[in-house]
Amino acid sequence: MKKVLLAFSITWGLALAGVVVHAQAPAPEPAAAAPAAAAPVPITDADIKNAPTPKPEEKAAGDPAGTITGNPADIPVGDMKKGLTIQDVVGAVGQNLIATNFVWTLVTGFLVMFMQAGFAIVETGLARAKNANHTMMMNFMVYGVGMLAYWLIGFAIQEGGVGAVANLGGTAPLSSEYAITLFGKSWGLFGQKGMMLGGATYDVGVMVMFLFQMVFMDTALTIVTGTAAERWKYSAFLISSFVMGAFTYPIFANWAWGGGWLATLGSNYGLGHGYADFAGSGVVHSVGGVTALAMAIIIGPRIGKFKRDGTPNAIPGHDITIVLLGCFILAFGWFGFNPGSTLGAAANGNLRISSVAVNTMLAGMAGSFGAMYYMWMRYGKPDASMTGNGFLAGLVAITAPSGFVNPMASVIIGVIAGVLCALSCEFVERVLKLDDVVGAISVHGTNGIWGVISLGLFADGKSNYGGAWNGVPGSVTGLFYGDAGQLVAQLIGVATLIGFVFTFSFVLNMILEAVWGHRVAAKVELEGLDIPEMGALGYPEFVLRPEPAMEA
Amino acid sequence: MALVGLAVTFAGFLLAAFSVGITSSNTGRLGLVLVGIVVSLVGIMGVINPAYQKNAVWKK
Repeated sequence: MKKVLLAFSITWGLALAGVVVHAQAPAPEPAAAAPAAAAPVPITDADIKNAPTPKPEEKAAGDPAGTITGNPADIPVGDMKKGLTIQDVVGAVGQNLIATNFVWTLVTGFLVMFMQAGFAIVETGLARAKNANHTMMMNFMVYGVGMLAYWLIGFAIQEGGVGAVANLGGTAPLSSEYAITLFGKSWGLFGQKGMMLGGATYDVGVMVMFLFQMVFMDTALTIVTGTAAERWKYSAFLISSFVMGAFTYPIFANWAWGGGWLATLGSNYGLGHGYADFAGSGVVHSVGGVTALAMAIIIGPRIGKFKRDGTPNAIPGHDITIVLLGCFILAFGWFGFNPGSTLGAAANGNLRISSVAVNTMLAGMAGSFGAMYYMWMRYGKPDASMTGNGFLAGLVAITAPSGFVNPMASVIIGVIAGVLCALSCEFVERVLKLDDVVGAISVHGTNGIWGVISLGLFADGKSNYGGAWNGVPGSVTGLFYGDAGQLVAQLIGVATLIGFVFTFSFVLNMILEAVWGHRVAAKVELEGLDIPEMGALGYPEFVLRPEPAMEA
Repeated sequence: MALVGLAVTFAGFLLAAFSVGITSSNTGRLGLVLVGIVVSLVGIMGVINPAYQKNAVWKK
């Protein structure tokens, strides 16, 4: 007979002694002498079989109190002749744990997918009415074109060598990473399994992983459409986004999350826990932000954005109300983005999801305050669109450190992000003379990098996800808590974003500019892209005002 | 000039990435990485962007 010894002697000892402690109840008087701990009680198949189950008449009466729904009778039996056994119970426990993680990761992935709606209305609201259909269509189709590219090849490059993911069942069909040897160590460059989810990757755990990672990738892609809105040729947008979903995003994501060389900076070179990016300030937002920077340089500013002396004209969006509504939708989706990045809710330290969620909401709040007060003090009014961008900047910045820092650090990170967002927007427009319609370079690029760095400063060493991170035992700890090596790893990640991802994106889009062209004709831009590019106005019943004369 | 800027930007990345093999001192690595980041930023903001700004639409 199989026997399983369960170590719950303390619980049993308390229960047998009649000591029941309720939350918020006065603490019981300490006992004169502590009761002797009961010996572990072996559980047998007989105990399992005799576990009470509700009688048919009880079930027929319904269960308004919820006390009989979910009981031993619900555990699937492997062999009807033997009845319920310990094996059945233990198997059900394991599957329930993984099922919890599956449901958590899938539902949070659904929330991240809904962020596309937030991005769509933020970007459309900040564009002019004459480009509403075009801007909305870019945001709509970036979802499909990105997903197609990612399914065909991107997912394999990113996750093809990630190996077993314990939270999702531990199967390991994604097991082939292409690597080279440099300085005596293996440097993973890209994964090689999972194209079109064929072969052994037709696996339930891999499907969860694909869905979750796909919506993250799409978030990065949609950042670029905001910067290049109101002058980007629709066909060029489709090609550029496909290439980004197939190559640009997955390559950096492999290096950071797929077992690539950035992730192994800790195990290979003793730099903390290697490059750490809990939910993607760098992987998602900075990749989108630096690609947006490359696009802004290549495509150039909208007609009328700058005067002949180079000073900028303000081109207000057409609907600030949907911009702020979009910010709220994005914040809602962020509760999937960050807490979902545990890839599970059960075991392996995953109860940190509560901390991650609170850190996320606090940083968003602090970011909105930082940007609002900066604008209020500098310009005399609490600018609505910048306040919304500050809100998003706080969320972007906390994305990398959200799993490793405490609430106070989250507020500090968020408020700095809000101010940094406003400063960066001014720098991009006034110093670099770049036209970023929605402020994406600052919100996602600048603050994504700030988020990556802040992790290297503020990670408090209290998190513990399964005892190790990136193959290095212990908790991720930043400079302020004693590990300078972690900050160096983070800065190498920043250098990779600025030096590699930017260059890669720039070269790809420069080639596209040469062979296809990114920008619509000046006549089309002045008329508005809706009719020439899409064939229909976004608001056909509105009378669009002629473009006001811009100061030259 | 844009191609020169791209080369400078990429060189900054290589310096930062290879810092782990160039020295085993974390202080040395930190210095090299920071230099690498500055080099890349100079490549983007000091070379590539000005090269494109020469023909900016608002100057025409």
